[in-house]
Amino acid sequence: MNDPETTHLVEVQINGERYERAVQARELLVHFIRDTLALKGTHIGCDTGNCGACTVLVDGQPMKSCMMLAVQADGLSLETVESLSPAGEELSDLQKAFNDQHAVQCGWCTPGMLMQAKALLERDPDPDVETIRRTLKGNICRCTGYVNIVRAVQQAAGQDVSAGIQQEARA
Amino acid sequence: MLARPLKYARPASVAEATALLRSHPGARPLAGGQSIVNVLKLRAAEVDALIDISRLEELRTIAATPDGGLELGAGVRYVELASAPLVRERLPIVADVADGLVDVQVRNRGTLGGNICLNDPTSNFPPLLVALGATIRIAGAGAERRSVPAGDFFVGPYRCALEPGELVHSVVLAPLGGDEGVGYQTLQLARDSWALARAAVWLRRDGDAIADARVVLGCLGPRPARQGAIEAALLGGGGGEASVSAAVAAPLEGIDAVGDSHASPEYRVEMARVYAKRAIHQALAQTEAPA
Ligand SMILES: Cc1cc2nc3c(=O)[nH]c(=O)nc-3n(C[C@H](O)[C@H](O)[C@H](O)COP(=O)(O)OP(=O)(O)OC[C@H]3O[C@@H](n4cnc5c(N)ncnc54)[C@H](O)[C@@H]3O)c2cc1C
Ligand code: FES
Ligand code: FES
Repeated sequence: MNDPETTHLVEVQINGERYERAVQARELLVHFIRDTLALKGTHIGCDTGNCGACTVLVDGQPMKSCMMLAVQADGLSLETVESLSPAGEELSDLQKAFNDQHAVQCGWCTPGMLMQAKALLERDPDPDVETIRRTLKGNICRCTGYVNIVRAVQQAAGQDVSAGIQQEARA
Repeated sequence: MLARPLKYARPASVAEATALLRSHPGARPLAGGQSIVNVLKLRAAEVDALIDISRLEELRTIAATPDGGLELGAGVRYVELASAPLVRERLPIVADVADGLVDVQVRNRGTLGGNICLNDPTSNFPPLLVALGATIRIAGAGAERRSVPAGDFFVGPYRCALEPGELVHSVVLAPLGGDEGVGYQTLQLARDSWALARAAVWLRRDGDAIADARVVLGCLGPRPARQGAIEAALLGGGGGEASVSAAVAAPLEGIDAVGDSHASPEYRVEMARVYAKRAIHQALAQTEAPA
């Protein structure tokens, strides 16, 4: 049996690449991603598990990387926002939809929103508005008022969003 | 904020985990981490080491018990409780409560065992488990197991009836008979959100009359509070609108409500009576109609 240790060797797969690093037990996953691996796409908003800006996919499931220790990701497979469109390549359809629908203002919430939306569309390729809203509950946006974000997810799902915001509000 | 320097171990079995907890008095179990990671950041508790139990398969099973009930492993995550067909079929209220917890990310990591061991006054599962008359199975040294009724497990805020070196192993739930019903009603800021007042109810009807009941309030005191006077007032009654209204007006027990920016203590207590009434009607609606 292994006694508790302060330093651990972890092996993680991030965006298809394998990383092996020594981490302190107290190190948060989000700090490991941003500071150790220099993947700065993942944001830190509240650092208390409330805002969802730090959301990444762990074995395909959205989780808050400020609420996990790096050592807990050992052996797991992660996806961060950088995976959506590798550097130098075109934006993914989901990112284009955020752009088209003006779903980004300051952009702080965006990496988490995108990863949450990606996981949703993989689970449910044609979600209704209620499902989209409820799924985004763990991702706070202090700029957009959410309407454009919901419409961006709808566009990415191939739904017709040409009817406009007013119509949606009346529905 | 960064946590204090910390040690971590990921034992391979429940026996190893309890051995490590016994030999390291400053160690605490780490399950989903959706509460304890914040505790570490705030440096709100002296934790020297975390014993990661989140991958222990022994704690991650959802099993049918021979009597028609369920045994739910402490390490089962909310998302798994919410989607397991066996839970849906036998005790849908457990799946519903898991599905209404916080948000997608917390549901993907948070565990039943972590929820009940934290025992925050606003925690979703403690009042439900007391109302359902659940049994908490606890793992001690080696293969040792003991059981505690949920009504005795929740000792105070952030305290439960675990001895040092023990782990919650599983939660055992009896089946619901056709003459039994469960209600769970919460006043909350928004869907899946923070609770201000909560009522959980289990009852059994015998013909026209309510024969047995457990009425439990959450969010209003140090632990889920059984309401003996409300229960007594319900017994023998037919569960009609007037009799239920009269019952929930009975003196409350175990209440020490605090106010905050969302609601005063008086408002919470008043609303608890309203939500208790709704939970009682919800439970009654599931019982077989009297012959
Ligand atoms: C933004 C946010 C909002 C939240 N809102 C709510 C809410 O409204 N309602 C609610 O119920 N919860 C809420 N939570 C808490 C969440 O449900 C946690 O998941 C839960 O409280 C703890 O479960 P966990 O598995 O994450 O446990 P952890 O955080 O890993 O552990 C919690 C405590 O339990 C101990 N522990 C865990 N498992 C065991 C075990 N098997 N045996 C012995 N001890 C154990 C740990 O040592 C620790 O002290 C919220 C969390 C966040 C981040
Ligand atoms: S930074 Fe992780 S939830 Fe806000
Ligand atoms: S765009 Fe600024 S927080 Fe969402």
